[in-house]
Order: sequence, then structure tokens, then C-alpha cells
Amino acid sequence: MSYLPKPVLVIGGGIAGIQAALDLADQGIQVYLVEKTPSIGGKMMQLDKTFPTLDCSACILTPKMVAVARHPNIKLLTYSEVIEVTGSAGNFNVKILKKPRYVDEEKCIGCGICFNKCPSKVPDEFNLGMSQRRAIYVPFPQAVPLKATIDKEHCIYFTKQRCRVCEKVCPTKAINYEQKPETIELNVASIVVATGYQLIDPTLAAQYGYGKYQNVYISLEFERLLSSTGPTGGEIVRRSDNKHPKNIAFIQCVCSRDVKINPNCSAFCCMASVKHSILAKEHLPNVDCTIFYMDLRAFGKGYQEFYNRAMREFGVKFMRGKPAKIEEEPETKNLIITYEDTFTGLKKTMTFDMVVLAVGVKPIYPEALKLPLSEDGYVQLKNQYLDPVLTMIDGVYTVGVAAGAKDIPDSVVQSGNAAIKASILAGGAQK
Amino acid sequence: MSEELRIGVYVCHCGTNIAGVVNVKDVVEYAKTLPNVVVAKEYVFMCSAPGQQIIKEDIKNFKLNRVVVAACSPSLHEPTFRTATAEGGLNPYLFEMANIREHCSWVHPDEKEVATTKAKLLVKMAVAKASLLEPLSEIKFKVNNTALIIGGGVSGLAAARDLAARGIKTYLIDRSPTLGGRAARLGKLTYTEMKGIDVFKGLIRDVAGNRLIDVYTNTELVSVDGSVGNFKVKLVKNPRYVDAKCNLCGECAKVCPVEVPDEFEFGMSKRKAIYLPFKDAYPRIYVIDMKSCTRCLECVKVCPVGAINLNEKPSELTINVGGIIVAAGYDPYEPKTGEYGYKLSNKVITLFQLERLLDSEGPTKGELIVNGVKPKNIVFVMCVGSLSTTPDAYPYCSRMCCSSTIKNALVLREKYPDTNIYIAYKDVRTYGRGDEQLYMKAGENFVRFAKFKDAPKINIDQKGNLSVTLFEETLQEEITIPTDLVVLVVGMTPPRDIDKVRTTIKIGCGPEGFLREAHLKLRPVETATDGVYLAGAVTGPKNIIESIASGSAAASRTLALLSKEEVAVEPLIAVVNEDICSGCAICVAMCPYGAISLKIIDKNIRVAKVDSALCKGCGTCAAACPSGAMQQYGFKDAQIKAQVIAAMGEV
Amino acid sequence: MKEFRPRIVVFACNWCTYAALDLAGTSRMKYPTNFLVVKEMCSGRVDPQYVLEAFRRGADGVIVAGCHPGDCHYIEGNYKTLRRMTLLKKLLEEFGIEKERFRLEWISASEADRFVEVANEMYEKIKNLGPLKIEIEGGR
Ligand SMILES: Cc1cc2nc3c(=O)[nH]c(=O)nc-3n(C[C@H](O)[C@H](O)[C@H](O)COP(=O)(O)OP(=O)(O)OC[C@H]3O[C@@H](n4cnc5c(N)ncnc54)[C@H](O)[C@@H]3O)c2cc1C
Ligand SMILES: Cc1cc2nc3c(=O)[nH]c(=O)nc-3n(C[C@H](O)[C@H](O)[C@H](O)COP(=O)(O)OP(=O)(O)OC[C@H]3O[C@@H](n4cnc5c(N)ncnc54)[C@H](O)[C@@H]3O)c2cc1C
Ligand code: SF4
Ligand code: SF4
Ligand code: SF4
Ligand code: SF4
Ligand code: FES
Repeated sequence: MSYLPKPVLVIGGGIAGIQAALDLADQGIQVYLVEKTPSIGGKMMQLDKTFPTLDCSACILTPKMVAVARHPNIKLLTYSEVIEVTGSAGNFNVKILKKPRYVDEEKCIGCGICFNKCPSKVPDEFNLGMSQRRAIYVPFPQAVPLKATIDKEHCIYFTKQRCRVCEKVCPTKAINYEQKPETIELNVASIVVATGYQLIDPTLAAQYGYGKYQNVYISLEFERLLSSTGPTGGEIVRRSDNKHPKNIAFIQCVCSRDVKINPNCSAFCCMASVKHSILAKEHLPNVDCTIFYMDLRAFGKGYQEFYNRAMREFGVKFMRGKPAKIEEEPETKNLIITYEDTFTGLKKTMTFDMVVLAVGVKPIYPEALKLPLSEDGYVQLKNQYLDPVLTMIDGVYTVGVAAGAKDIPDSVVQSGNAAIKASILAGGAQK
Repeated sequence: MSEELRIGVYVCHCGTNIAGVVNVKDVVEYAKTLPNVVVAKEYVFMCSAPGQQIIKEDIKNFKLNRVVVAACSPSLHEPTFRTATAEGGLNPYLFEMANIREHCSWVHPDEKEVATTKAKLLVKMAVAKASLLEPLSEIKFKVNNTALIIGGGVSGLAAARDLAARGIKTYLIDRSPTLGGRAARLGKLTYTEMKGIDVFKGLIRDVAGNRLIDVYTNTELVSVDGSVGNFKVKLVKNPRYVDAKCNLCGECAKVCPVEVPDEFEFGMSKRKAIYLPFKDAYPRIYVIDMKSCTRCLECVKVCPVGAINLNEKPSELTINVGGIIVAAGYDPYEPKTGEYGYKLSNKVITLFQLERLLDSEGPTKGELIVNGVKPKNIVFVMCVGSLSTTPDAYPYCSRMCCSSTIKNALVLREKYPDTNIYIAYKDVRTYGRGDEQLYMKAGENFVRFAKFKDAPKINIDQKGNLSVTLFEETLQEEITIPTDLVVLVVGMTPPRDIDKVRTTIKIGCGPEGFLREAHLKLRPVETATDGVYLAGAVTGPKNIIESIASGSAAASRTLALLSKEEVAVEPLIAVVNEDICSGCAICVAMCPYGAISLKIIDKNIRVAKVDSALCKGCGTCAAACPSGAMQQYGFKDAQIKAQVIAAMGEV
Repeated sequence: MKEFRPRIVVFACNWCTYAALDLAGTSRMKYPTNFLVVKEMCSGRVDPQYVLEAFRRGADGVIVAGCHPGDCHYIEGNYKTLRRMTLLKKLLEEFGIEKERFRLEWISASEADRFVEVANEMYEKIKNLGPLKIEIEGGR
């Protein structure tokens, strides 16, 4: 075949962006993968295990991350953001801002000496603030690239002009406080948007008291509690007293399927909670798990079977209905859930040691692209049947949760779909 | 081997997956005592970049010449560690893995001590084998950059369209007389004005007449030989009895005396023995259904272009392709007679039949007429054949039916505002974009919902009146809904005879018969067999959008293979030690691929010879060889026996 | 005396039985700890000599397992296995090795539960039989 392929830009380095980049690169296309945080991996990296096979998330994701770093056709731009896009399909001009890490990526070997010595402690966003990291840090041990980054806002040198400890200890002299932002200009044939999602602010569902009651968690926090690399080393313990809970309630559709906050279904939280209940039982065999749900959306391959196992093998209780409110018992910090028994229509209460809210999601988009959105808040598609990943802008494709809430397998399928579409433009369509 | 052995052993914690059960420290200490082990280490995630870095550095620092990693299953990470070994400067085949997760910590969570002992034994076995490993290099083959797609539904069409757009020559086969599959029969779709047929037309626009796509209908797979990059595929093209001269005048069908139920309309109307499967069928050629044809020859007489030949015979053809996509789709669940009153009353129909009735091009031109009357009360019964707790139907969720049901309920509501519509359901799983909004809209539009746990009963009284009885979960009481029409929302099942395709290509399936992905989450369109990919509903229920997306994704993976000049395959093939081969030829007969022949090396001395392009590395020949001359790389007698011996004894 | 814990060698083909054993792991099924797997690409690679070697070295039981007939990744390797192992069974009987100690099984990649069943059954039986009392050629 004789064509001169043009490069493709992939924005967002979660599983969706990673897979799109790998597919394209394997097809011989040059890919720029832009990720705004210091490492690729996205939300999947924060998960402990994944339904329905309970593979450990890091175990299956890290090889892909390493493959990205290693692929000769992929240029990885982390800690970078797209700031301007002009042009049209086949010929986009893109400006990318590479933020300063204040660490020379060429020199840093990821040895970790600096972050052991750095005196400034900061809540760790990877563990949703449940533990601390330093002002110079790598977000998690398997980060790709494994390069330190200085968080300027919390660095004592940048805020108070003293310290410079990391500079002293770094064995490779990688620290550079003078590093400047860089702008990179690219010309690409097509763009794949894989910028993923954020959890909706759980305090919007004020009746559940997140942030007010210590033992109310959101699902992603629970995921970190389960993880051996999490803040508790894989122990499920309560924020209030560090004790194992004897019973846990999971509440579905928090900030989802709720006309006031967000009418969309988040598609994976039912299964995530089923998974959480099974994993909780594995960690604490005597814990009682109850899931409050409206419909249990176990629709994917092997999902109903997984749900059946939760019920039959693990004895997880499923209660239909959305709880009206949660109150805290001030002494014990236990949580009283008020719900309507859909069978009798009567209001009832139940007390739990811990409550996990399966909170809904909303997409994130790169502002520079100005993608037209639909009523549901997700990106508008030109023809979702004939070209399921094409946005209203020709040559710009969208995948993963940015294209609608979905689980990992469906994200990966979409990535393949967008990859071949982007590749057709890059390779020059042939007839 | 003269070189001194220097083995490095790395034991992974896998977070707590391994370390939570197996005492990793103990295993490391034990490994250090094994012969030739010069270094043994542990790490939280060996597969991570820093984990791999440890291996690479140790190879240099300790001058290792063998690497053993005790971690998860080699099916997951053998490639990862092979690459790391190679990047460390060692031949990648000097690496061996001990599976202490899937085969140990995960299956023995309550027996920490014995699990640790077992892990030690597994490490001992791997070290024993590693000691005997030899450097090997991958075998490279030229890739034939053409593709075969089996199944011309929406997923197969999308795959063909996309491959051709990147210049890949593609064969698209379908066993039925037309492309289009099931989606072509669906009426209006959600969130669009398009109907199923419009999606088909949209796809066929790029496929019909595309010089890079060869379409073969009425065609089935006979055999597949070869391997990734170079498959030799035999197909049989069953006769259509009408050739491309057909100009669609339809004179033949007018005169044909045989009328049979039209399968496109699920038997709700009739067609002739010579027919066009549906108005927009592709290829645009009539076809004769020989099972019902009486060979009266009326059609032959009237055909103005002489396109009909009743004596056409099946023909075989052989093609060579580099990659294969299986897109054989699904079959709708067919309720048994009497199941929910099916076939006992013609007022019990399936959702697919309803789709046809509501289609303006369907048997009733889009009017809901059943038994000559317009039903006023309609009950949909969901999950027919799906979410079953008994073995006579399927346990899984068919995924697309909830939103398809609600879509149909809304179409009915708009068209016939005064009908009463009930949806009897287990769970409403409207997970997709926009589907939840439709669900809410249905509620606002007085579509009524009744939740059941145990399958509803359909009652048919003597006069033929219908009603549905179920135990309503929210009300906690049994209710009976009299109705004029029951629509059974049938799920999706693996397509008939998929096992034939599956065993011909040698790919796996799950317990219900849907084809199995290489990895459910991260390799959803690949199979365990290199060069074979999956698209659409053949891996499990999907709606049209998801099927098309997976067709394109399969094309993407196929393109990744076919855009390469060469593929490398594992060198784990048979090898003859000519010095001891007696030329008995026992192995020659053993090989299922005809890879072994005898060659004359010196006057009358004949020895076996393996063709490395044909050998697939099963090792059957080696097991049969009486003199031990035939061996298999990576699985030599000595290597296997060393493992067996290492499995014994105390640790 | 120490409790008798039979040691059993499993020759598993890469495509079916090895995958089934992996599946048993990912599904967190449980079975006795005493099964040690030797992987082959196909059950057809298993030379009856290996089975004898295992018993000679002290194995209390051996399983040879592969894909179901018709499902072998290499078309018909397992038919050859069937033939070889049928002969081997006779030989083992002659040596006086109880038939419970050797099994030929067809276990597909999705039949993790089948492996668990076989493993439990075999473990119990061999436990009742006690250690292998026979010495084959050359001894242990
Ligand atoms: C609690 C919980 C449990 C879950 N469990 C499972 C499970 O078990 N199985 C399963 O299949 N799914 C599960 N999911 C769903 C899963 O997380 C998603 O399907 C998956 O992570 C989606 O990946 P993504 O790449 O689309 O998005 P993300 O993972 O969000 O990745 C997006 C990436 O883009 C980057 N980015 C964002 N904006 C920009 C920008 N402007 N420029 C550059 N980069 C940008 C982000 O930093 C991020 O790295 C779970 C979700 C939650 C919340
Ligand atoms: C009752 C019902 C209602 C539905 N409603 C909707 C809806 O409203 N919206 C929606 O999006 N989806 C709906 N669907 C799902 C939709 O039909 C599927 O998503 C779609 O048809 C799948 O496409 P496919 O290409 O994978 O398979 P198919 O459409 O089944 O195509 C497979 C093709 O492969 C061919 N084939 C099979 N075996 C072989 C073989 N051995 N050799 C050669 N060729 C072979 C077949 O002849 C067929 O042409 C519905 C399904 C059902 C059952
Ligand atoms: S910046 Fe220096 S000290 Fe910090 S991780 Fe990198 S090399 Fe180590
Ligand atoms: S997936 Fe389940 S919990 Fe999440 S919004 Fe949808 S129905 Fe609610
Ligand atoms: S020969 Fe067959 S197809 Fe032709 S008219 Fe007669 S019955 Fe119909
Ligand atoms: S290993 Fe032997 S029997 Fe098997 S394919 Fe190769 S040559 Fe043929
Ligand atoms: S590959 Fe499993 S028995 Fe041959």
C-alpha cells in the first residue's frame, strides 16, 4: 500500500484513549496522545477489580500503558492540554500546552527519593483525598511516564521561596524550578476525544449527607478502600473509628435518573455496586451487604450471571426503592436509612455502619474543541447509527464515557471504531 | 550448554491478590535456595513499568541468562515479561512463568500455608524448566493483506465498509440469499427517523459495487487451513438458480405457482418459490428456494433475459486471506409452542413480528391488524427466553429488548392514542444514551408497567379471549390483565449452527454458545486465535449501534494485522534430531497439517523433515516418535520431565 | 504421622484445560491444593512416558486433560491422546497402579466447574487409597 499517513491526535489517556492510540499506532499511524494529568490511566487505574470477571484493574491496564510508552508510533504528551484547534477534517491545526512539571523528564528516573523527603503534604487525589501525597509526586506507583511532578500550588519553594529539598536530594539533578510552559503545534488528520468523565457532586443529593456524615462514601472512594494500594491498604474501615463495618448499604442512582440533578442512567454503577458488595464479602466474610436499587441494570455479557452470584452465592440483599434520607446516630456515627418499602408502601428505617453512594457521572470535554452537545449533556452525534462515534465536527470522533456513560468493554469497542475512522482520514480514503 | 546458568526469580504480590494468601517472602527465600538461582526478589506489581525495570536491570547487573516470574497466568502476562526480558538484552524465550495466582492464591484463599508450599513447588517447576530453555527466534511470514468476513448483517457490513476504505480487499460472505441480517427487518429506531432498512441501505451504499469488496451470498464456510496472516479458506457457494442477468422484472414470481410463508415477514405473509427476499435485498437478483420449488419451469419460460437455470450446482471456491472476522449474528429466541401461549393463539406474537406489522413496508403496510382487527389492549411480556432461572431458556440479559419494547410502545401510543398498553417486566434496563428519557416519556404517556418476578401466565379461554396473569411485585398481589394482543419480547440467542463455524475456525464459546473474546474487557473483538476477530451479536446480545461499532472495531484490529508486511509467530514448533531419527515415518502420519515429510540425506538414509510454515506446534509427532528424535521447541522431553520431577519432593 | 496429602500432576493443554484452570481462578472457585499443572500446547503432546515418569517420581495421581473431541485446537490431537492413554491405562493396570490414580478428561475452556468436580473426586479417592505402593522400573 502506498500512502503517506498523517498523524492523529487522541485527547485523554484513560482506557478509551489508550486503546484508540494503540489501535491507530498498530495500523502504522503516528499518534499524539495528550493527557492533562501527569500520568495516563484515567479512572480505570483507580478501580480495584473489574466486573464481571473480577480481574484486577491495574493488572490488565498497566501492560497497555506500558505498551503506549513503548510504541514507536505513539508520542505521549502528559501534563498537557489542547488549547486551540483550527482547520477541518484531514487538516486540523492544533496547539498543545505542555505544562511545566519543574522536573526534567529526560533526567528523572522515578526513584522516589524526592517525594519521600518533600516536607509539604497534600491530600492525594488518586485516593480521593483519603491519604496524602507530597508536593512533588507521581500520582501512583505504576504511573506512565514514571516521572515526578511538582504541584506548584503546594510547593513551599513556589509559595514561600524556601525549601528546595527535592533539588538537593535528586540524584540525577532533574529538578528545574525555572521550567517554562511549552507550546507544541501539530497538524493532524483527525481527532479522537476520549476525555472521560467526572463524578457528579454528591452533595447535590443533600438528603444522603455526603460530606456531613463521616461514614457515607462515594463509590470511587469505596473502590480505593478495597484496593491494596489504597489509603487503608485494602482494609474496609470506617472513617469515624477505623473499625470494620458489620453491615454496608449501597444506594443506587444517586445523582442519576433524577430529573432535578441528572436524568441520565450512568450505565455502570449498578454493576459496580454488585461488584463492591461481592468484594466487601470477600474482604469481610461476615459483613452484611444491602443494595437499594430502582432497576438492576445487569445488561452486559456475564453481568446477569454476576448479579445472580451476588444474590445466591454471596447472600447480598437487594431492596427495591430509593431511600428518602440518611441520618446519623451522633454517638456511634452509624447511619439510619429511611426508605419506603415498595411492597407495603410504609416508611421504614434500617441502620448501617457504612453507606456507599453509587453516584452518577457527567462527561468532560476539551474546551478548545467547542463540541456541540445534545440535550442529555453529552456530545451530539451526526448519525449515531451509521457512524456511532462521529461528532458534529467531521474528523472529530468521541469514545469512552465522554461519548455516553458506559463500562470498559463498550469503551474499548468504541475506541476501535474511532481508530479505524480516524485512520481512514489519516491514511487518505482509498476507493 | 557450556555457559553457567544464572537465573533470576521474581515473585509478584499482585497487590493482595497473591500476597494476601501466599507468603511471598517465604517463596522468595525458598527460590534463592534453588540450583542456579542467583537472585530472587519480590515486588507489588511485577507487570508495571518499575516491575519490568527490575528485571531489565538485574539481567545486566547479575548477568542473568534465565528469568522466572511467579505471578498471574501466562495467558495474561507472558508477552509482557517476554518483552521485558528481551529489552533487558536476553533472548525472550529464556523466560518462564509460574502461575501462582489463578492456579494458587485465587483457588486456595483459606489455606495460606499449603498455598505457600504450592507456590514454592510451582516456582521450583518453573526454575527447572527455565534451566533447560534454549534461545529461540520468532518465525516470520509475509502477510496476505486481504480479509474474509463471515456474515453480512450490519456488523459485517460495517467491517467490510471500513476495511475497504483503508484499501483492504475483503470477501464478505453470507449464507442467506441477501445481505442485511436481522436489522433490515426492524422498523423505526430510537432517536432517529431511520428504520432498520435505512441503516442497511446506508451501509450497502458503500459496499455494493465497491471494487475492493467481493460479496458471496448463499455461501458457507467449508474449511480453514493455515494461520494468522495466511489462511486458506474453502467456501461453498450454493446455487441461487438465477444469475446476474436478472433485471428484477418479477415476471417469474407472478407465474410461480408455489406459495410459502415469507420468512422475512415471520410467516405473516406469503412469497413465491422464486422471490426477492425483500424490496431492497442485495444482491439485486431473484433467488429460488429449491426446497419448495416443484420444477414446473414456468419461471424459466417467462424470464425475458434467460437468467434462470434450475440445474445450477453448488460450487466450491478457495480464497487466501490474512485475517477473518466472524460476524454471524444471532437468532431471535423462538418460544416453544405453548410457551406463553405462543402458537396457541394468533393473538400472541413476538416483538419481531410487531416490528414488521408496524413497518409501512410490512405485511399490513404499517397497520396493526391482528386476525383482521385492531387490538385495543396490548400487553408486552418482557424477558421471554432471557433472564431465565430454569435451564430450558437462557440466563443472560438480551440487553436491547427493554429499549426496543419501550420504543414500540411509544410508536403504538402515537399511532393509536386510545390503546391501552401494559409492559410486564422484571427490570427496566434502559441503560443507553437517551433510553432513560424514553422510559420516562413512556410513563408520562400512560404506558403502564407491571413488575413480575416469576414468568406471567397467558390465559386463553374457550372463546379465544386472552389475558395475562402475574404476581405484581410493587402491589404484592396477583393481577390479571385482559388483552387483545400479547407481544412476547424475545431475546437473542447464538445463531443456528454457529458451532460448525466455530470448530472449523477453532475458536471458543461461552456456556450459552456465543463466541468467546480473547479478553472480555480489553480485547472484546479478538479471539484467542491470532488473526481471527469477532463482530456484532455473535459474541452476545447487542443493539444495532453496538453491533456496528464492534464491526468497525473488528475492522480496526484486522487492519492492524493486515497493514503489516510480516507477522511473527511463536517458534514453538517441531524439530528433528537427524542424528537419531530412524526414518520410521510414524510422525509423518501423525501430523494433522501434513507438515512432516521424509528427506534423503545420504544414499539410503531417510530422516523426517518439518516444514516450519505448516507446523502449528501441537507436539503430537514428538509424543509419537519412538526414538525421541522428534522434539518440540519449548516443550522438549527433557524440559517437561524436569517439570514433572520438580513437582515432587518436599519444599 | 503427617497427614497424607496426595500430589497430583495435571498435564493440561494450553487452549482448553489450562484456560479452564485459569477460569477456576478468576471465578474464585476452590479445589484442593495438591494439583500441579504442566502445560502443553495440546494434549497430543503428552507422551505416555511422562505419566510413567510422574508415577515413578512419586506422584500419587496423574490427570491428562484437553479439549473435547472435535474441539482440539489442532484438529485431532486429542484423538491421538485418547488412543495413547487407553493403551497406557492397560499398562498402568499391569503395573498394579489403581485406576483411580489416572484420569483422562475433556475439559473445555469454560468448564472450570468440571475441573473442580474432577479434582475433588480424585482427591478424595486417592486420599482413601493412600500413597502409591508400587515401584515402577528404577523405583522412586
Ligand atoms: C466506582 C466505579 C467503578 C467502576 N467499575 C467498573 C468495572 O468494574 N468494570 C467496568 O467495565 N467499568 C467500571 N467503571 C466504569 C469505568 O471507569 C469506565 O468505563 C472507564 O474508566 C472509562 O474510561 P474513559 O477512558 O472513557 O474515561 P477516563 O478513565 O475518565 O479517562 C479520561 C482521561 O482523559 C483525561 N482528560 C480529561 N480531559 C482532558 C483534556 N481536556 N485534555 C487531556 N486529557 C484530558 C483524564 O485526565 C483521564 O485520564 C467504574 C466506574 C466507577 C466510577
Ligand atoms: C426482537 C428484537 C428486536 C430488536 N430491536 C432492536 C431495535 O429496536 N434497535 C436496535 O438497535 N436493535 C434491535 N435488535 C437487535 C438487532 O437486530 C441486532 O443488533 C443486529 O441485527 C445485530 O447485527 P449483526 O450483524 O451482529 O447480526 P445479524 O443481523 O444476525 O446478521 C448476521 C448475518 O450473518 C449471516 N450468517 C449467520 N451464520 C452464518 C454462517 N454460518 N455463514 C455465513 N453467514 C452466516 C446471517 O445470514 C446474517 O445475515 C432487536 C433484536 C431482536 C431479537
Ligand atoms: S525528580 Fe529526581 S528524586 Fe524525584 S523521582 Fe525524579 S529522579 Fe528521583
Ligand atoms: S446503572 Fe444502575 S445505579 Fe447507575 S444510574 Fe443506571 S440504574 Fe442507576
Ligand atoms: S420452477 Fe420453481 S421457482 Fe420457477 S415457477 Fe416453478 S416452482 Fe416457481
Ligand atoms: S508439532 Fe508435529 S504434528 Fe504438530 S503440527 Fe508440527 S509437525 Fe505436525
Ligand atoms: S489443543 Fe486442547 S487437546 Fe489439542
